[in-house]
Amino acid sequence: MLSKENFTRLGNYVWEIPRAFREDMRVPARLYADEELLDAALTDNSLAQLVNTATLPGIIGYAIAMPDIHQGYGFPIGGVVATRLPGGVISPGGVGYDINCGVRVLISEASVEAVSPYLKDLAASIYANCPSGVGSHGHLHLSNAELDRVLHEGSRWMLDNGCALREDLDRTEEFGRIPGADACFVSDRARERGRSQLGTLGAGNHFIEVDKVAEVFDEGVAARLGIYAGNVAVQIHCGSRGFGHQVCEDYVSRFQKTVQDYGITLPDRELVCAPFDSKEGQEYFHAMACAANFAFANRQLLTHMIRKSFDQTLADKVKNYELHQVYDIAHNMAKIEEHQINNHQVRVCVHRKGATRAFGPGSPVLPSDLRDLGQPVLIPGSMGTASYVLLGTREAMRQSFGSTCHGAGRVMSRAKAKKTIRGTELREQLEARGIIVCAGSMSGLAEEAPQAYKDVSRVVEVVHKLGIGRKTAKLEPVAVVKG
Amino acid sequence: MNFEEIEHTADRAFRVSGRDLPDLLVNAARAMHALEGIHSAGEPSATQDLEVEGIDAESLLVNWLNEILFVEQQHQVVCERFQIREVNGFHLCARIETRKCADHQSEIKAVTFHNLKVRETSAGLEAEVVVDV
Repeated sequence: MLSKENFTRLGNYVWEIPRAFREDMRVPARLYADEELLDAALTDNSLAQLVNTATLPGIIGYAIAMPDIHQGYGFPIGGVVATRLPGGVISPGGVGYDINCGVRVLISEASVEAVSPYLKDLAASIYANCPSGVGSHGHLHLSNAELDRVLHEGSRWMLDNGCALREDLDRTEEFGRIPGADACFVSDRARERGRSQLGTLGAGNHFIEVDKVAEVFDEGVAARLGIYAGNVAVQIHCGSRGFGHQVCEDYVSRFQKTVQDYGITLPDRELVCAPFDSKEGQEYFHAMACAANFAFANRQLLTHMIRKSFDQTLADKVKNYELHQVYDIAHNMAKIEEHQINNHQVRVCVHRKGATRAFGPGSPVLPSDLRDLGQPVLIPGSMGTASYVLLGTREAMRQSFGSTCHGAGRVMSRAKAKKTIRGTELREQLEARGIIVCAGSMSGLAEEAPQAYKDVSRVVEVVHKLGIGRKTAKLEPVAVVKG
Repeated sequence: MNFEEIEHTADRAFRVSGRDLPDLLVNAARAMHALEGIHSAGEPSATQDLEVEGIDAESLLVNWLNEILFVEQQHQVVCERFQIREVNGFHLCARIETRKCADHQSEIKAVTFHNLKVRETSAGLEAEVVVDV
């Protein structure tokens, strides 16, 4: 078991486990955290998992963990690993089962004050229009051919079918479509699981929130994003549903043999991988891109339904209620990027598992109207607590492969949360604070209680002070919708 | 009891034992059901034959459990009984008996390989399984 003594403190918020700590490490491991968050990380297996990721073939720089780190399987949640290309590997476990789980934030010019008389109806309408819960089914019935088009085109399919605005795609990571998707490498079983789930929220820690912009840290920058204090915002947190899970499952299973074929030895079988440029690596990447596009399309369709709820509830009652997209980010993904490492431009495969891309100003992949600002980064808090809008920074490009945290990070197991917290009491507590709750499962609500998570404000403060994510605005919930 | 839940911060996990590999596999399926809160509730109404393959005991275990999850989720059934008919190397043939359960929705989305090792003990075999929820 790791202890604080195994770390070298490189700065106020940077802790390093040297490569010499274990023989199979190829690079050091770095945790970004304050001392209290480091102490929390030492209470589960997350740091041992971080050390394990430092053994991946082709890894470059260091294995990174963000301050919201917690135990996952294979990779810790909050992990970032870049592998050099060519030669380095891609690991399905480094992306996770919920491929392109991510967050979208939408903003309105209407104030929460103007909307509040209709908030209960609005929440109920969103709950009705956006299917949620385990195994929920959506409103679309797609043929195989149409589903394959969604997998290749992502948000663009939704635009072509009247469920998106052009500006939504501009304000989505990768413009809502990861290139390289090829449905030939997706199993029939993944199609079967995903076909009926497009436009559904799912369960667990997935949610839709109606928020108030509670605080603006940089008014000029926030205004460029359309964010003003007191106004209504909406967050969507969900991913690729059963489709992405099946893709991950298929390739984790297949790669159990692949690692043997390539002579790769790993400390954890959930880290299985293949050289990115191999047949197997490419097939996983093509399938992963399909799942990522499914998730973009999913969040887009949910956006469409939420806009419908706003129309149904607020039309002729509130002015300027329409929702505009701030941004949409992925926090479970592998991306092919170029980064400056030791003064050389290097092509890498960046795995972010429970971590968010945070590209700084000037990045050519950003939409032209935001390029001078940097990429918006959306950090959802635990239920009932704050969420944050940050901006990516040049420091993130320098320190962390253009990456930052993704959320609050769990500190309590789901089993313990269900035993110690009553969902009905939690709902009452939230409602007493003026937060409307529409939830399908009280045990699901208990699992997501704020005390099961780290303090997101603390996590965000660390990345802000490190310079790998710049605080721009804080959102607080006024209505929560979950399965 | 041949299984017990163990703590995991974000997902769920269990420890399971069995006399031999077929017994371990059946007990693991029951452990997974216990995690989901599924209890035997009546006579099964259908049977289904399954064939599952792996490259070793661990992958056979994961693939077996994932197959059960898939059958239950896609056909909206619950498996009431498991009969491992044959294990030949790391290939198994099984018969499951199922009952319709339209409102059953499992929070378990996949079974992982994380830290998975089928170990020999004095009583047979043991493994710890982490599932994604």
